[in-house]
Amino acid sequence: MLFPTVQFALFFLAVLLVAWSLCRLNGVHKLFLLGASYLFYGFWDWGYVPLLAGISLVSGIAAQRIQASETQKMRKTWLIAGVAICLSTLAYFKYTSFFFTTVLDLWARVARPPRVLIPSPLLPLGVSFFVFHAISLMMDAYRRKLKERVRMLDALLYVAFFPQLIAGPILRASSFLPQLSRPRDPNAIRVNRALLLIVAGLFKKVVISNLLATRLVEQVFAAPQTFGRADTLLAIYGYAAQIYCDFSGYTDIAIGCAMLLGYRFPRNFNAPYTATNPQDFWRRWHISLSTWLRDYLYIPLGGSRGGAWRTCVNLMITMLLGGLWHGAAWTFVVWGALHGFYLVAHRMWNAIAWQPLQRMRETAAWRWSSRLLLFHAVCLGWVFFRAPSFAIAFAVLHRLAIPGAATLASVPVILALTLGLAGQYQPLRWRKALEHELGCWPAMARGAAFAGAIFMIELLGPSGVAPFIYFRF
Amino acid sequence: MRAQRFNSLRQLAAVMAGFAVTILLIESEALTVWADRLEVSRTAMIAMQATSAIHRTLRPLGIEDVREEGVAGLDRLGWSDDPARLLAARDAYAAGAWPGRSCEATIATARTAITAPPRGASAPVVAGVPMRTTLPQLAQPMAGKPRTLALVGDSMMAVGLSDILLRQTAADQDVRVVKAFRSGTGLARPDVFDWMAEYPAMIGDAQPDAIIVAIGANDGQGFVDNGKVLAFGTDAWVKIYQQRTAAFLNMLTQNGAHVVWVALPPMKSGAYNEKIAEINRITYTVVSQYPQVIWWNPAPYLGGDKGAYREFATTPDGKTTRIRQADGIHMSDEGAALLAPALLNWLNPAPAVHVAQLALVPANPANHAKREGRSRVIRR
Repeated sequence: MLFPTVQFALFFLAVLLVAWSLCRLNGVHKLFLLGASYLFYGFWDWGYVPLLAGISLVSGIAAQRIQASETQKMRKTWLIAGVAICLSTLAYFKYTSFFFTTVLDLWARVARPPRVLIPSPLLPLGVSFFVFHAISLMMDAYRRKLKERVRMLDALLYVAFFPQLIAGPILRASSFLPQLSRPRDPNAIRVNRALLLIVAGLFKKVVISNLLATRLVEQVFAAPQTFGRADTLLAIYGYAAQIYCDFSGYTDIAIGCAMLLGYRFPRNFNAPYTATNPQDFWRRWHISLSTWLRDYLYIPLGGSRGGAWRTCVNLMITMLLGGLWHGAAWTFVVWGALHGFYLVAHRMWNAIAWQPLQRMRETAAWRWSSRLLLFHAVCLGWVFFRAPSFAIAFAVLHRLAIPGAATLASVPVILALTLGLAGQYQPLRWRKALEHELGCWPAMARGAAFAGAIFMIELLGPSGVAPFIYFRF
Repeated sequence: MRAQRFNSLRQLAAVMAGFAVTILLIESEALTVWADRLEVSRTAMIAMQATSAIHRTLRPLGIEDVREEGVAGLDRLGWSDDPARLLAARDAYAAGAWPGRSCEATIATARTAITAPPRGASAPVVAGVPMRTTLPQLAQPMAGKPRTLALVGDSMMAVGLSDILLRQTAADQDVRVVKAFRSGTGLARPDVFDWMAEYPAMIGDAQPDAIIVAIGANDGQGFVDNGKVLAFGTDAWVKIYQQRTAAFLNMLTQNGAHVVWVALPPMKSGAYNEKIAEINRITYTVVSQYPQVIWWNPAPYLGGDKGAYREFATTPDGKTTRIRQADGIHMSDEGAALLAPALLNWLNPAPAVHVAQLALVPANPANHAKREGRSRVIRR
């Protein structure tokens, strides 16, 4: 069930109604939300609901055993067992065929490879996300970040909660489980903020992202040889805007829906293309993933505690694995490697403490130049992220050198591109003023305005609903 | 100073009520369209009845005219991506009659434009389909006359195959490619996407003399005909699907175009594969009635030894490559590249077609290149 569909709207309205009518009975309320979450997942494929429940159950049992264990050794054993089960599930579904093809390719370099039947299971929707949730639960229990004992129902709901189930944001057990331990407060629903988030998310996804995808990006990446420099550059910028609007749109809707149900999700994007350096970018892009990787991978690897060389190695490992998390293909690994390289290079550059350079770094001109440079470096990464193969990625980059007019630059495309990229520079006070203004309207009028906004989005969006890019991760 | 209203459950209920009332008022027609497009089931029938009742009740209020005006305005600005709507907008603008003519009028015109009787409609359904089919070359066009190739179909064309064909004809001045594909469509549900109306709009003024069709992956579902639900594969369903396929082929060939109907390849899911096999049997039966149309089975290229589903293949240099997408349905670029040489060979546009990229070893290496004529594959 995709967010921008009538099915989801009907499903969500029903869930909202029943969930709030059960809000005083917290146990029943959570049980209902769990059932609704499995129903939501089952809409895609009922066959994988047991997998989702199984992973949740394993992580819940492991978290409980970690908390109950008296010795550090037992705690660690439970953690390793739980994480191993989760990661091997992820590895089986996501990386088996990638592993086999890579081994066979390497084999073919030295000898004729054997004929083997390569297992290739269908990738369960959102498996990367719910496995990361499960790991977060066990890690937070191990690090004693959970103040209360983990209840099984809470663990199951935390992993499967439908607004974040398919594509995040990746919640931390330490921040979400406390919300589940007490009934939701019907007087603390941030309706205006939630409505604005849902409208903004739908607009970004349905109008900007879909329009750029169908009218610009897909065409150029399908046959880059047929386009010249201007179209190719537009498509690369277009993809930067498309992926931002697609993914941040999804998380905006997820955060808004959770907010209407009385839950708080963390912010997942913060105007990433306004970042001035790679570190800043990763503090603004897919924040819940980058902090997950930082806390559960980079820091356990040693973080920046082992000297400059070791820090660089840890950064590269983290970003390479982060790239591989996005997809089982070498193009994603290269994307991760590029970002790892950017982070390492920036760290080395920052270590130069020459006074004139320090002064220059503080100027506005420098900040804007850095922003521009970083944006283009990120765009270079997006080419590998988007292209189905290295051949296409290099063909796209090669076309930047071939003169050609902007044949795809229609008014809707340019408008969508501008909104997708420049929209990140809108002052925060605009949103707050709008939220304040909405708060002064009668509730029925707010509902009518919300319906009007949905109507406009439906009119402006291209026909058909493209799946969210991050669904396949 | 205006008061901020405190957020509460009552507020939320009022907001949702305001939302529900407004959305029903302005979107009741869109809701009926949504219900009509649902996969045929009892729930869908209930949704259709409910939304139709709401629409009938609210229509006299005339609020939905706002929607029509909005759509018309956006079409005039060139915002729409729906070919039939764009064509309607263009026609109306050219006739100076804007906004008097609706999209429905254009669709109706397009529907009635196909007057030839469906020649293959009464053809009997054969038990199976041939595994090995050949693609003889088309006669070469006159020098200086570029070949116009239309790529037609659903996501079986949109994903993989169209990309490869576009890439491999990109450098060829003698081939003009018209893109006429749309994912999520098919011939079973004209209520969702009417190919008879959309195809003329998609090709516009182009007159393709060669057409490659890959369609049918979404057609393994029931549909409603004259208010009666017809389940997939029943005699009545097959008869109507044959008629729709025949009408579609009449439209494609009406200007003398030569057509390759790329049959659906074997699929990963067993149940789905059975439906696909049934669709292949039907299309084979219908296509066989058309001398200008070749039903071409890609299974020897994409399938295993006995035409079974195959996900990976080995390149001549021993590299293992995924030839199907992870969904077990669509072709990957590498899989589509297996079909491209034969299709471009059939096209026969000019002496120097540039066919590069990738060549994989077919599962049934009975020397396809020899059977299909000369091979233009540059192996690397």
